Amino acid sequence: MPSSEIKPTRSGLLIVRRRMALAERIHRILKMKLDGMMLELIKLTDQAVHERRVLEERFARAREMAAIATMMEGATGVLLAALSVEITPTYTIDHRNIFGVRLPTLEPVMVKKTLIQRGYGILATSSVIDDAADAYEELISQVITSAELEGGIVQLLDDIERTRRRVNALEFKVIPELTDLRRLIEYRRDEMERQDAVRLRRIKKIKARRG
Amino acid sequence: MTLPGLISPSCIYACTRFRIRRTKLLSREDYRRIMKMGIPGIITYVGRREDYQEIMELTPDYSGARLVEEAANRNLARSFRHAMSIVPRDLHTLAGEYLARWDIANIMAILRGTFFDIPREQVRDLLVPAGELDRSLLDHLLSLTTCHEALDALEGWRLYPVLRGYHRTCGEPGVFARMENDLYMSYYAGLLGLVASGYSGCKELFTYLRFEIDITNMKNLLRLRCGEEGCEIATIDQTMIPGGRIPVDLFRRLYHSRTEEEFTSIFLQTDIVPILARAVRELRQEPSFSSNDAAELVWQRWHKHLLPVHEIEIAITRIRLGELEGLSRRYPFSLLPMLAYLERKRYEVANLRAIARGKAFDLPSERIWQYIVI
Repeated sequence: MPSSEIKPTRSGLLIVRRRMALAERIHRILKMKLDGMMLELIKLTDQAVHERRVLEERFARAREMAAIATMMEGATGVLLAALSVEITPTYTIDHRNIFGVRLPTLEPVMVKKTLIQRGYGILATSSVIDDAADAYEELISQVITSAELEGGIVQLLDDIERTRRRVNALEFKVIPELTDLRRLIEYRRDEMERQDAVRLRRIKKIKARRG
Repeated sequence: MTLPGLISPSCIYACTRFRIRRTKLLSREDYRRIMKMGIPGIITYVGRREDYQEIMELTPDYSGARLVEEAANRNLARSFRHAMSIVPRDLHTLAGEYLARWDIANIMAILRGTFFDIPREQVRDLLVPAGELDRSLLDHLLSLTTCHEALDALEGWRLYPVLRGYHRTCGEPGVFARMENDLYMSYYAGLLGLVASGYSGCKELFTYLRFEIDITNMKNLLRLRCGEEGCEIATIDQTMIPGGRIPVDLFRRLYHSRTEEEFTSIFLQTDIVPILARAVRELRQEPSFSSNDAAELVWQRWHKHLLPVHEIEIAITRIRLGELEGLSRRYPFSLLPMLAYLERKRYEVANLRAIARGKAFDLPSERIWQYIVI
């Protein structure tokens, strides 16, 4: 029943009181959830900053290793080794639940490979190619770790935003409106009570005059 | 016909030409001058040399470090084909066998390109026709659509017997790597077999080749060890080239050694140690660096599952080439001057490429200099 249709009666007052109790309880729970999510966000952000720094370091190292491999084996040698790759690195996606938010969990698949799994012949290549391949495998692995954390942060921020809107709506709209409505019903009921009392006193006087 | 014990005039002529060609390669001073230039300066400097005319022909299609690398590769192919045309008849087979490593690289690129359906133009750019298989045959191979057709078309190639066994399994996971390893094994076996034929300078070349095999095996053993999971004995057997001075069994023992004492005692038995010690002495300017220090250095990397240090690998290559040149001077009318020239040319191209690529990646000159083989 919409608030506008609630009548200033005892049952109406009970409805409003019940709704207020519910709204306050939800507000308290959502506030706790928001605090929890904020703590989780801070934790994830710290981790993401660290992982992003590691990612930048690994990117720089991968570029350096690619440069050295290109210097020693030539772009031709590096491309020939790259053409030999038979299994493409990928990842699997799963979810974990944090305060009801589904955060992604990414698991690398065939990112770190052994020398044999890489597909190039050992006798046709040198250790610079291994170094470059190692560096890029570590980079891809780090990209997946960072993507997991940053994807989680984006999800968490979305949910924090949604929860904050709910908390604000409860705090600044629903609960004040219900409070006003309760106060209005109470005033109306007091007024009605006073009118009844006056009416009864007047009837009593009229009866006494006639009698 | 030449009498036994006498050197044929054609051999004297060819060896003299190779020695002269060797003196025309880039010198230390040239490299020092190039190191101070930017990429446009390198292109101009190299383009002015009479043996690098390719650079001007390629200018419309390529630029920067790519232009230098492409021109150097084409120059290498042209120089090697020219070398093949001037070698005397009795050295022709050996030169062909030696240059077969370029054919292996080209064939593997074509087979992989055909199987993985990589655009033919991209594969064509990767080919360096410096071996016996010329550009027209490689172009024909590139026009074929399946791996089996390409294998059939290679029936006349000297290493075809190795490929014959892969007709049914071509394209299965890991097959290309095995095929490539087998081709290189066969390449070294063929080369060692020919070297043992008794031509002048063969004994020295045999020693040189066996040392190259030992170094390659040791580097590959370190690479196999570098992975987090250990490899199987079968993998070691498939990747160690037989024919070196160090038996494959010693590498197996080395791979399974657990303590420093065990490792160093086995490693000190190899002929690699004195050369390694000398390479580190020259690289780090440490006259007191001994064989034991060298064994300990390798153990430290072995123990921590680390790959070989590239700078030390280059230093060893410098020593090997120096020794080959010394031998070629000692045996001036043998196959050694030809091989010394071919090896030097190969590293000249590698040096130009390293300088151009290093400059393109903004690496400091001191760092690039460590990768130069002079």
